[in-house]
Amino acid sequence: MDNFQTVLRFFMNQKATIGYSFMALLTIGGERIFSMVSFQCPCNHDQNFAYGLTFLLGPGLVLLVLGLFFSSRLWRLYTGCCLNPIKLCPRGNCFTCLKVFVKIFSGACVAPIMWLCVALLNGTFYECAVSGLDDNLVLDLFCKNKTMMCREELARVPCSKSKLPSDLNLELLLMFRAQSQILGWCIIIISAVLGLLGTCYTNCRSKVSYLQLTFWKLYKEKEKEQFDTFAMEYASKLAERNLKSFFENRAPEIFPFPNHKAWEEISALYTFSKSEQYYSTLQRYVERDDRDYCPEERPVMQLDPGTERS
Amino acid sequence: MMDKFQTVLKIFQKQKTSLGFGLVALLTAGGEQIFSSVVFKCPCSGWNFSYGMVFLLVPALALLVLGYIMSNKTWKLFTGLCLRKSKCCHFKYFCACGVVFFQITTTAVVAPVSWIAVALLNGNYFECAVTGVNVSVFTNHLCDGKSPQCQDELYKFPCGRATHVPQSDSNDVLATIRAESQVLGWLLIASIMVFNLLLTCVARCNSPVSYLQLKFWRVYAQRESDLLEKYTADHAEKLAERNLKSFFQHTLPEPVTTPPNQAWEKISSLYRFSTRDHYYSILHKYVEMCHDPAEARDNRLSSVRSDGPDTATPAVLAFVDEGKMML
Repeated sequence: MDNFQTVLRFFMNQKATIGYSFMALLTIGGERIFSMVSFQCPCNHDQNFAYGLTFLLGPGLVLLVLGLFFSSRLWRLYTGCCLNPIKLCPRGNCFTCLKVFVKIFSGACVAPIMWLCVALLNGTFYECAVSGLDDNLVLDLFCKNKTMMCREELARVPCSKSKLPSDLNLELLLMFRAQSQILGWCIIIISAVLGLLGTCYTNCRSKVSYLQLTFWKLYKEKEKEQFDTFAMEYASKLAERNLKSFFENRAPEIFPFPNHKAWEEISALYTFSKSEQYYSTLQRYVERDDRDYCPEERPVMQLDPGTERS
Repeated sequence: MMDKFQTVLKIFQKQKTSLGFGLVALLTAGGEQIFSSVVFKCPCSGWNFSYGMVFLLVPALALLVLGYIMSNKTWKLFTGLCLRKSKCCHFKYFCACGVVFFQITTTAVVAPVSWIAVALLNGNYFECAVTGVNVSVFTNHLCDGKSPQCQDELYKFPCGRATHVPQSDSNDVLATIRAESQVLGWLLIASIMVFNLLLTCVARCNSPVSYLQLKFWRVYAQRESDLLEKYTADHAEKLAERNLKSFFQHTLPEPVTTPPNQAWEKISSLYRFSTRDHYYSILHKYVEMCHDPAEARDNRLSSVRSDGPDTATPAVLAFVDEGKMML
């Protein structure tokens, strides 16, 4: 046991080293996975375009879906919408809902655009895709002033296996790479400018001053963190109360609990209003004059008194 | 350094679900890599197709069965089913069972799909399987523009043992097959993810509870399952100690309160959502209804097992009975 403690203490002292080694392992593992998914242009006329495009867009789509999945704002807005569409337009203001959707989508688009830019700056995917194009306009552009063989052998250029002379092959490859990198840089610049314009617009139309906005963002973050802590504490208390009652075969203790309507109210998205001094729907609910202070004795929810008795 | 470590740990705990799925996918990828480099050797004969297909599909099937076994819901559904013959023959009961089975499948299907997707992205198994296909239309398409012996020697290509076909031709064919395999792999991954997102959207849209309450509900279900384990262990230990003490010391056993058989049966059934009273789990419902005389009076006609639920449990609440494998 002593030896074990010594070993454990040694490892605890080397936390930094262990952290770095872990990161190194993760990077090596990630690189292995990528090389496993190694890109090899098939270099034939039928498949080049589909193959290159799949590798460009497939990971992008996966990243977009993951971004949407992990967006808590989306689920907060969207949960329960089909049963109660009024939720989407709080206080009769549908424009806010649209703005929120745009924000969520643009947040989720960051990762796919980054992937697209990196892939285009690399050049191999674009090269493969474009060399498989059948369009006469494009072929004229690439094979201008070149021999007839250029058109037929274009698909084999990315593998350097074509029957064209090697300097022509190299020229075509460099042209493809240049086009790909220019496209990549254009996308980066356009996204950056759009992002800047969006941020300027949002800040310009903000109803609060700059420092208050910073405070508001911080408050939202803290409220979220503390919600998790309080939820965990409450859930533990409720679970213990239920289990004690079950195992000891007796009636459960009274347990104060927020009711269903309260939960619904605090889940709505908050829109700032100049006449109020609230930073979230939770604060608005808590400071309401007509708030129902009689807690639920049993944590049951009565959705609609009308249907309840039916 | 300690602070950063705590932060990382907190992030991991918050995103347990997604990390769990990611870990499963990574483990499957690692396992596939090991398999393909150590165990898989294409026979390059008439057996190509069967061999490739077996390596592609059988591990996926094994992972699916493992997923079913490891899900708590499966056992909650099946335990005691044979003795409840009267219930089985109702069509409604069948439908309810079917829905639950579908929910279990959506979680169990992650590992097999990861396996198939990673195997397709790698290309070895698909290559081996496809070179063993005997359909002439397909082989014509593969060997288009190559030497005439290409079709006859197709099955030898993965091992590089083709005698009458030049190396460049066989490499071309293999590159074509590999490209097809990788495109299929990406299509599978993308379509599964989009399908998953759509299912989640539909489930959440029809959720009768709000977002924050749902979040709390998940936390509660997890805590209840953790504490249930702890309480069960404690209770079992106390009961065993009491029985053995009484046996070895030749004394009368101390009185002990233990939940009756019907109580256990009631809390082992699957959770059914009802719009009338919402409880956070079947245990919660039992405790509130069967021990509180006021509540029991109000709900005299409805049984805890909810023999006649007003509505089927919404898909968004599928996590309620999962227990330890909370996803």
